[in-house]
Amino acid sequence: MNEGATNVSVYKISDEKFNEIRNEILATWPTGKDVDFEEAIKYQQAIPESKNFAVAMKKAGEENRTLLQPRAGVALVTEHINLLKYLETEGEADLLPTTIDAYTRLNRYENAADGVEKSLQARTSLLNGFPAVNHGLVGCRMVTEAVKSPIQVRHGTPDARLLAEITLAGGFTSFEGGGISYNIPYAKKVPLQKSIDDWKYVDRLVGKYEERGIHINREPFGPLTGTLVPPCVSHVVAIVEGILALRQGVKSITLGYGQGGNLVQDVSAILSLKSLAHEYFKREGFNEYDLTTVFHQWMGGFPPDEAKAFAVISLGATVAVLSGADKVIVKTPHEAKGIPTKEANAQGIKATRQAVNMLRDQRFPVSEEQNIETEQIKKEVRSLMDTIYRLGEGDIEKGVVAAVEAGALDVPFAPAVCNHGKILPMRDNNGYIRIFNKGNMALSDEIMAYHREKLEERAKIEGRNVCFQMVTDDIYAISKGALVGRPR
Amino acid sequence: MSTPYNIVLGVIGSDCHSVGNKILEAYFTENGFNVTNLGVMVSQEEFIAAAIETGSKAILVSSLYGHGEIDCAGLREKCIEKGLDDIILYVGGNLVVGKVPFEQVVEKFKKMGFDRVFSNEGSLDQEAELLRKDIEERLK
Repeated sequence: MNEGATNVSVYKISDEKFNEIRNEILATWPTGKDVDFEEAIKYQQAIPESKNFAVAMKKAGEENRTLLQPRAGVALVTEHINLLKYLETEGEADLLPTTIDAYTRLNRYENAADGVEKSLQARTSLLNGFPAVNHGLVGCRMVTEAVKSPIQVRHGTPDARLLAEITLAGGFTSFEGGGISYNIPYAKKVPLQKSIDDWKYVDRLVGKYEERGIHINREPFGPLTGTLVPPCVSHVVAIVEGILALRQGVKSITLGYGQGGNLVQDVSAILSLKSLAHEYFKREGFNEYDLTTVFHQWMGGFPPDEAKAFAVISLGATVAVLSGADKVIVKTPHEAKGIPTKEANAQGIKATRQAVNMLRDQRFPVSEEQNIETEQIKKEVRSLMDTIYRLGEGDIEKGVVAAVEAGALDVPFAPAVCNHGKILPMRDNNGYIRIFNKGNMALSDEIMAYHREKLEERAKIEGRNVCFQMVTDDIYAISKGALVGRPR
Repeated sequence: MSTPYNIVLGVIGSDCHSVGNKILEAYFTENGFNVTNLGVMVSQEEFIAAAIETGSKAILVSSLYGHGEIDCAGLREKCIEKGLDDIILYVGGNLVVGKVPFEQVVEKFKKMGFDRVFSNEGSLDQEAELLRKDIEERLK
């Protein structure tokens, strides 16, 4: 056992430091000054338990249910409320989102204000999400009060400190993101240590709510770049972010994974994610937490044809429920075209609902193939985690920063310059995501030999060598009607 | 071998969609262009500075997240201001929020001064061919 196990409180941001940052952060945009933590606690206390996200996730876990949640967000408060109400009533979503616009994600509140102004003039949303910081406490509370379901902030913000302060005081009870998962796939030039530090503040804020009896759910972003991400890569990021959150006093954690496409690999991924997370959380000295899982329907390119898109959605729904994921994030038939209409968004939920209901009393039969894949994922995750502990001399935070810098942990196709970007994944002959080029990833020769063998199998059948063209073919395969990008 | 024209590539605004950008870079490079890839989250000023620095004939702008209309407005005027009167401007991706008929999107962006507008369903072979033709047309 590592030394940290006995004294986990050493990692917590001190109150003094926290307050210092808070004063600074709340002054970065005029709406920040309305946040008063004591008043926010009272406000949160008055929110009925039926609307609490952490409670809903825990219950879903206990009752073996898979809850459905869409993504949605528009520029203006009234329009956003109409959209959410539609998804709640017509779409019958179990959990609601508020997706934040891209300007807010980069703390460009002036651009967001401009987007609000232009949206008012154009009488349609010109922003791709809800600018919660600009709308402030008042706007956020109008939204959270207007709906009956638990509601979460979903975004992609490397520095989400102000957004967290405003939205949690605004009545949201779950907050997506993390210092790695909201940097590497979402930012270009933010140093990893900086985003990790900023997210420690967010987690500490959630911890402070927990200390006052307010449950706030936290969800590291599982799918990362959503493009051929090997399960071991996203699992390691999820587990590390889970530990970093627990260190700041977070209690309700939902870890995610994005659909890869092969049924067995996806089921194995959700099962191994949960057991590995418990293993590492305990190793770090944590015993009191609620851990649940979320499965994201296919995050890569979608077929433009709506009927075909429904098939992708339904397949994702199938895997979500068969793997026992506690929540599924739903896509829409407009995915290929960009931001969906509210009608299309509700259709995605309904298609998912039908599949989930038909499968809810069934479980995926345990097979030899599943056992092999589950063990393979675990072996890879342990190999990467061992390296992180080694590079951090026992400390996971220090280790993960060093591992990303060295490319020992590498996210495929990511925009961030702090990411190595040398790993190249592709599909094997059965559609499993395998690693073609590991870059500097800390994976043994034995592990890589297994991946290579699987890829050679595909190459032989396709009558070509294992090559970069296969990666490109795989990236566009689903949008063109198949899982594996075979030669034309 | 055809002339290796210099072009600038990037994803405009606050958009961080990086997958297609990496594919485009690989594709145009393989097809004989000298690509300066600015990656994601590129400002209009960065596009223009890179085009001047590399003597590029064209700027290929991508936008996938729906803010394309706001982000692209004024790019043509800024190019002219910096003396890039003849530069070819292409734009492609998911350019607007909501489901707008593609003809309307094309019209909107052509009005803004883009030479060609692409949806995300076009073929890269065709785009590369058009680009080569457009460049050679300007050089006449």
